[in-house]
Amino acid sequence: MSNSVSALLSATFYEPGYEHLVELVHQRDPEARRRLSSLDLSAYGPDGKLLLEHALDTRDETLDLGALLAPTTRGHGRVMAVFDARYEEDAFPYRPHHYAYVHRTGSATPALYYAVSAALGGVPDRIGDMSRLNNFDTYVFRRGPHAARYSVMLGNVGRFAPTEAQVFAYYGAERVEETVFLGPRAHAEVALAPERGGQPLTRVETKSLFRLAGYVVGRREPSGDLVLFDHLFTFFK
Amino acid sequence: MTGGPEPEDALILCYCTMLTVGELRRACAAGGWPLPGKENTGRLCTGCLGDFLYCQSRFERLPRETGGVIS
Repeated sequence: MSNSVSALLSATFYEPGYEHLVELVHQRDPEARRRLSSLDLSAYGPDGKLLLEHALDTRDETLDLGALLAPTTRGHGRVMAVFDARYEEDAFPYRPHHYAYVHRTGSATPALYYAVSAALGGVPDRIGDMSRLNNFDTYVFRRGPHAARYSVMLGNVGRFAPTEAQVFAYYGAERVEETVFLGPRAHAEVALAPERGGQPLTRVETKSLFRLAGYVVGRREPSGDLVLFDHLFTFFK
Repeated sequence: MTGGPEPEDALILCYCTMLTVGELRRACAAGGWPLPGKENTGRLCTGCLGDFLYCQSRFERLPRETGGVIS
């Protein structure tokens, strides 16, 4: 094994009241278990305030994010959970992936399974053509009713630089724009109307100076249970 | 943009090229940026671009005594 260590920073959002389990490494080859060199978790309030730092045991395969964050984050609502991983290139020729399971505790609403958004790293030169931009993201909604409320959650994983993000929602030929300001490690949820002028929400795009952690969110009414939690997709691909 | 917190040298600034804050600080102080092999800093995943520009602006305007060593 080489001594070449790579880095990957991924982020998700945790809300109280949910079971939220994270696979530290999404294994496709159970006969050859792979482990990260190290993995640190930190959590931030919406204003970017550091709430928790925790070194994880990379021998663990699954992290109970809810159990870890619930006591610390009480009263903060949404929290951005940041995973800072170091890994050997030989063990992860592309990059490690974290997947997560989220389910409202006690709810009959089905659980969601999603890929944790990679925001920093994971795309070194060795992967190949990196000429495409990846700070323009998009998400196309499926047709028909899906959730009663939609939103985009955006987090700035930068440690020093603030940024502005533009969120564009599309309703037929109409485009609605909203700009959100995010300080370092700050995050926001931008509501998206499910329809406008009789036209349903069909697509959302986000644009920023640099890549952010971002998810598209759908909630059921009146419970507010999550029925959609998915990362956006690179616009130019 | 240079009045914020002082970045620590050990921090990894670019997760794609593994550039550290200290490497950038020393390169800026010595007029040696970009460092060989680090030219794509900020251009790959782009996630560090804001922090990179913050640090570069800070270090080019406020060079610190580093002994002129480019690592």
